[in-house]
Amino acid sequence: MKRAEQEAYERDYAQAKKEGKPFFPYAIYKDHIVAILVFAAIIGMAIWQRVGVGPPVYTATSTFEPRPEWYFFFLFQMLKIFKNQNALLPVIMATFIVPNLLMGLLIATPFIDQRAERRISKRPFALSVAVLVFVGIGWLTYQGETGAVPVSGGAITFTGITPGSAAAAGQTIFANSGCTSCHMIKGSGGQVGPNLTNVGTLGKTSTYAGTIPVKVPGVKGPVYSGENWFVLHTECPTCATPGSAMPAFANFTAKEYQQLATFLNGLGTTYK
Amino acid sequence: MSTTDIGPKGPVGQVGEAVVEYVDRRAGAKTGITWFLKRNIPSETSWFQTLGFAAMATFGLQAVTGMILAMYYKPDPTTAYSSIQHITNEVTWGWLVRGMHKWGASAMIILVFLHMARVFLFGSYKYPRELTWVTGAILLIMVMFMGLTGYLLVWDQRAYWATVVAMNITASAPIIGPYIADILRAGSNFNPDTLSRFYSIHMLVIPGGIATFIGLHLFLVSKLGITEPPWAKRAMRARRAEEAAARAAARERAPQGRREVTVAPATQPVKVEAGQ
Repeated sequence: MKRAEQEAYERDYAQAKKEGKPFFPYAIYKDHIVAILVFAAIIGMAIWQRVGVGPPVYTATSTFEPRPEWYFFFLFQMLKIFKNQNALLPVIMATFIVPNLLMGLLIATPFIDQRAERRISKRPFALSVAVLVFVGIGWLTYQGETGAVPVSGGAITFTGITPGSAAAAGQTIFANSGCTSCHMIKGSGGQVGPNLTNVGTLGKTSTYAGTIPVKVPGVKGPVYSGENWFVLHTECPTCATPGSAMPAFANFTAKEYQQLATFLNGLGTTYK
Repeated sequence: MSTTDIGPKGPVGQVGEAVVEYVDRRAGAKTGITWFLKRNIPSETSWFQTLGFAAMATFGLQAVTGMILAMYYKPDPTTAYSSIQHITNEVTWGWLVRGMHKWGASAMIILVFLHMARVFLFGSYKYPRELTWVTGAILLIMVMFMGLTGYLLVWDQRAYWATVVAMNITASAPIIGPYIADILRAGSNFNPDTLSRFYSIHMLVIPGGIATFIGLHLFLVSKLGITEPPWAKRAMRARRAEEAAARAAARERAPQGRREVTVAPATQPVKVEAGQ
């Protein structure tokens, strides 16, 4: 804003204030009416929609649902858009770049928009940004609210798995550990993580020099590939895929890791 | 004096007046309260301009219900869940206080976003209120972090795993991400200290920050005044008068190239230097 515009505003506001009325009681009574209505709504909701307690934390099997409170749905939903599918949609967009960009733009708003005009009808760009941000956040929140509900993987059948084999045990572990909360497999499951239907065909390989929490016989670094890669990724997702948001599943036994890895490594090739 | 001055005050009135006088002489309380409450605001204000106060009042409600919950809550992984159950099922009105705290959190986030939308659409963040906006933006971010840290305390499956994912996301940020995640988790993994650390951040660190920034925000709001809605009748009248004056000036202006020559009246008396 130019100096002259700033001074014009100050003159105009001084005039408005001179013709105005005192803050107490003229503004404060309105404030209190709205605050009392808000309090009534909060108490009403607390009575009408009793807050319950979910199942207690159980870190071992973790049949979990990693959904945040509704006001983080818009950030959570972005994990479903940016999933490292290609170079244009890196997961870092959802986890770091977009949230920080939004915070930066929020703080910098008055320094970006320096025009004197205050009427929204004369600020088409500002209006479109406001509509875009609110519709965007609202839409993502709605998507998060009505988004895919986790489906148990137990009901999904695969060809090529013989009962009693390591892969069958791996499928049971997969079904009971809440993997489908995030991962889509054969058309059912969440969309936060990558689709695992054909994960065995991707030839995943990682180099990791450190040690993994639970020693699994035959699984050793620094280069992990095939079944070993899946053991590494389950025990320490960020060791195998830097930047991964997946929680570490560090409470299985060595045998369970092996079974789960056998199942995952065969997805799309042996088990379809 | 005003018409309320109807004679000598009784002993209670005299003592009261003396106390007010004593405090005012030392703290300037009367001056400050008069400055805060009796300042003029534009005569036309919108109902949308009450959202900020409603958000602040909700913060007060969250503080009070939070204090009550803190009397019963145990920030320890082995007892947190049962203390939540105790509050919900056994403590008198416990379910109501917990419900109010939870719904209050949602209400506060909605109010803060609506308040931001109002300020944006009214153009109230423009000169001279830029810093008011900056303090408000920081408040909004802190309110979001309140939601994030409060969520874990319930210590049920959803709370735990959602926070595990949130911490993994924090750790995935470049360069400082892992350090921030380690500070929040009190280690490189979730451990028994994580819960009490989140509890401390939720009820001491961020509320302290929010209270400080509400103070700054309020000071700036009081000092700079509440904006007049851009469609206020007075503002429209002033704008119309300005435009009419501009039109009149354009009408009276002589055609291009044939500008009237007028001698500007001397505003300062001509100085005559000594000796001339």
